Amino acid sequence: MTGGRLPARLGNLVPVARGRAFLPILAAGVLVLVVPQVWFADSEYTTSLAVQALAFAGYAVGFNLIFGTTNQLFLCVGALAGIGAYGTGILSNHASLPIWVGIVAGTIVAAAVGGLMSWVAVRRSLGVIFTGVLTLAFSFAFQDLLFGQQHLTGGSTGQTLTAAAASLADNQIGGYYLFGAVVIGFLIIFRLLQISHFGWAFRALRDDELAAELAGVNVARYRICAAVIGSAMIGLTGGLYAYSEGFISPPTFAFDQVDVTVLVLVAFGGLGTLLGPLIAAVVFAFVDNALVNSGQLRELIYGAIIVVIFLGFRRGVPQTLGAIVRRFIPHDKVGTRWRLPLSVRQRERS
Amino acid sequence: MKAVILDGIILGLGFGLLGVGMTLVYGLGGVLNLAYGEFAVLAAIVVAQAISGGMPTVLAAVLGILAAATAGVLLDLSLMRPVYRQSTGHRVLLGLMLTLGLAFVIEGVLTWRDPLGGLTISIGGKPISILGVPIAVGSVWAALITLAVGVVLLVFFAATTFGRGVRSVIQDELGARLVGISPSLVRTVIFGLSGALAGLVAVTQSMTSPLTVSGGFNLTVYALIVSVVGGLGSVAGAFLAGILLGIVDDVSARYIGSYISDIVLLGAAALTILVRPRGLFGS
Amino acid sequence: MLLEVSTLAAGYLGQTVVQGVNLEVSPGEVVAIIGSNGAGKTTLMRAIAGLLRPMAGRVSLAGRDMTRWPAHRVAGAGVAYVPAERHLFPAMTVKTNLVLGAYPHRPQREALELVFEIFPALKPRLQQRAGTLSGGQQQMVAVGRALVAQPRLLMLDEPSTGLAPKLAKDAFEALGSLKGRGMTLLVAEQQVPLALSVADRGYVLENGRITLEGTPHELDRNPEVRRAYLGVA
Repeated sequence: MTGGRLPARLGNLVPVARGRAFLPILAAGVLVLVVPQVWFADSEYTTSLAVQALAFAGYAVGFNLIFGTTNQLFLCVGALAGIGAYGTGILSNHASLPIWVGIVAGTIVAAAVGGLMSWVAVRRSLGVIFTGVLTLAFSFAFQDLLFGQQHLTGGSTGQTLTAAAASLADNQIGGYYLFGAVVIGFLIIFRLLQISHFGWAFRALRDDELAAELAGVNVARYRICAAVIGSAMIGLTGGLYAYSEGFISPPTFAFDQVDVTVLVLVAFGGLGTLLGPLIAAVVFAFVDNALVNSGQLRELIYGAIIVVIFLGFRRGVPQTLGAIVRRFIPHDKVGTRWRLPLSVRQRERS
Repeated sequence: MKAVILDGIILGLGFGLLGVGMTLVYGLGGVLNLAYGEFAVLAAIVVAQAISGGMPTVLAAVLGILAAATAGVLLDLSLMRPVYRQSTGHRVLLGLMLTLGLAFVIEGVLTWRDPLGGLTISIGGKPISILGVPIAVGSVWAALITLAVGVVLLVFFAATTFGRGVRSVIQDELGARLVGISPSLVRTVIFGLSGALAGLVAVTQSMTSPLTVSGGFNLTVYALIVSVVGGLGSVAGAFLAGILLGIVDDVSARYIGSYISDIVLLGAAALTILVRPRGLFGS
Repeated sequence: MLLEVSTLAAGYLGQTVVQGVNLEVSPGEVVAIIGSNGAGKTTLMRAIAGLLRPMAGRVSLAGRDMTRWPAHRVAGAGVAYVPAERHLFPAMTVKTNLVLGAYPHRPQREALELVFEIFPALKPRLQQRAGTLSGGQQQMVAVGRALVAQPRLLMLDEPSTGLAPKLAKDAFEALGSLKGRGMTLLVAEQQVPLALSVADRGYVLENGRITLEGTPHELDRNPEVRRAYLGVA
C-alpha cells in the first residue's frame, strides 16, 4: 500500500493504528453474542425489539458509510431497503426462487440503484441538499410504486413471504443472531475501508473536498464506491428483514419510518463514526420501548428528546461524552492518535 | 386540455407560495425548516377552533396566520440561535435535526389535543367560468389570494429597501453586514413571514380540500421539492417551479392515471435538478 | 480624534494575531497601515469594523466606545469598511449594490454624484450585474457602495489586491482625489510605495504589533522600512 508515501497532511488523517482497529468491533461482537444469553433469550418480545434495533443498526451503518464519510445525503434508505425486501418477496412468491436468490438479487439491485444515483449526483456535481432532494423524490416515487403495482407488491395490504414463514419467522433468536452477524460484518467492512487508502481519501474528502481533489484523490470514484457498498448493506438488511419477519408492506419502508429514524440514529451516534450507529440503535430501542405506553404523547416526547439531544450534544452523543470523560482523565492517557489535524479542529470550534 | 392546465396553474400557485417560505429561510442561513408544514397545520387548527368558537371566517384566518407567524418568530429566537452559531457545514445537519424534532413535537401536541382536527373552508356559489372552463368558487378565491400575495412578495423583494436588504443577506451575508444590515434581525422577520405564508397556504388549501393534522409532513416535503427545483433562495424561482410542477401533476393525473402522476411529478422535479443542478433560478 | 484604538488585541480561536495596538485617525486625515503578508493588517481592520470581537482594548469613534459593537452597528455609525474580497452582491445590478450602501435610507444625490465623479467607468454599467464585472470594476463598486453611505471614516483593506499594477495605481489615485475632498481614510496595504503616496501618516505593523509610526517622509527614510518593504538594500 501507499502508506510510506502519504503527504504529511493526509498522513495525519489516517484514523486508527492498524493493530487496534478491530478491537471495538470485537467488543461489540462479544456483547451481541453474550447479552441475549444473560438477558432476553427467553422473551420473544424483547428479542423482536432487539432484531428491530439490529436491523436499524444495519441501515444506519450503510447510511453512515454514504453520508458520514462521503457527504452524500441519501434520503432513500427506506426505498433501498424496500428494494431488497420486495426483491426477495417478489422473486420468492412470484418466481418461486429460493429465498437466498431473492436476497442476493435485491441486494445487487439496491447497490446498482444507489450507485446510479451517486453517479448522477457526482456527474452533475449536486450539493448535499440537492442530492438529498433527488433521493427524497426517489423515495416517495418508490412508495407510490409499491402502492400502485398491486399485482406484484400486494399494494397497501402487503405480502407474506410464504417460503420464509416456516424457516425464520418462528425462530426469533435465530433472526437476532443473523442480524447480529450481519451488523458486525458491516462494521468490519466499514473499518476495513477506513484503514485502507479509502479511509484517508474519505477523511480528506470530508475535510476539504477541493483540496482532496487537487491532491489527486478521485472524489467521484470514492463517492460512487461508498454509495454502492452502503446501498448494498441497506438492501441486504432490507432483504433479510423481509425474510425474518415473513411479511412486508409499504409503511415498513416509508420515508418517515426508516429515513427519519436512520438520520436521527446516525446524527445521534456521531456522523462517520464506527460504533455510533450501533450504540444509537440500542439506545433508541430503549427509548422506543419506554415510550410504548405513553400512547398519544409518544410522538411529542420523541420529538422533545431529539431536540434536547441535539441541543446538548451537537457533535454526537458518544463524542460529547468522550470529551467530558477526557476532561477528567489526564490528556496523554487517552491516545492522542484520535486528535484531528489542526484545520479540522479549528473548524469544529468556530 | 385547457381546463387541466388551468387547474394545474391553480394547484401550482399554492405549491409556489409553499415553496417561498421554505426557500427564503434556507437562503438566509442554510436551514431547511422541517417543521414548516406543521406551522401550516397549526394555523389550520387555530382557524378551525376559532370558527367553531363563533369567529367570522376572515378574522379566524387572520388569527391562524398570525399564530403560524408567531411560531416562526419563536423558532428563530429559540432553537435557531445555536444553529446560526455553527459553521456552515454543521449548520445544515443541526438545523435539520432540531426542526425535525420540533415537527414531531408540534404534530404530537396537535394529535394529542385534537386528533381528528382539520380545516375545511367551504365557499358556496356556482362555479365561475374562466376562459370557458368552470372552476369552483373556492379554487378561484384561493388562486386569487395566492396570486395577490405572490405579486406583493415579488414587489416587496425587488423594490423596497428591506426587501433588497433580505436579498443582500442571501447573496453575501458579510457584505450585508458591512452596509449596516443586521442578518439576525432579517432572519427573525423572514422566519415570521415564512410562518405566515405556511398559515396562508393552510387557509387557501382548505378552500379546495380539507387539511388535516397528519398532512403537515407532506406539505414540508412539497415545499422542499418546490424550493429546490426553483433554486434555493429565489422567490420567483419557487413560484415558477410551483406552477410547472402543478401543471405536470394535473396533466399526468388526467392523462396517465392516478398513482403514476405522483411519480411523474417527482420525476419532473428530479429531472429539473439534474438539468439545472442549482435549480431554475439558482445562482 | 475621529478613530481611537488603544491597546487592542484580536485574533481567532483564542490565539491572538494582533496585540497592544494603539492607533489614531483625525478627521480629514489619511492613515496607512503597512506591513507584510500575515502581519495582521486584515485582523486589525476586521476588529475595528466589528467583524471580529476584540479580545482586549478599546475602539472608539469620536469619543464613543464601539469596542463590542456588531459590524452592522459600526457601519450605521458611519464607518464604511471595504474588505479585500469586496463582498459585493453578485446577482444584483451595480445600481442596486450602490443603493444598498445607504441602507436603511435612500442614497443622497450628491453621494451618488461623488461616486460617478471618482469612478466615471461605473456610470454606463449601472444595469450590469455586479458578478459579471472585472476585478477593477468590482473594486470601484465596492468603494462606491461604501461612499454612498457618506461615511465619516472609510476603511480599505488591500485595495490593490488582484489588480494589475496600472489599475492598482488608478485605485490609489481615486483615493487621492477622495482625500482632496476631505474624506478620512484608513488604508491597510502591503504595497508600501502606493500606500505612502496618499498617506499623511503611516503605521508599520509587524507580527501583530505596531513597530513604527511616522509621516511618509520619515518612514521612507527609515532604513528598516527601506530594507523590508521598499526593496532597497
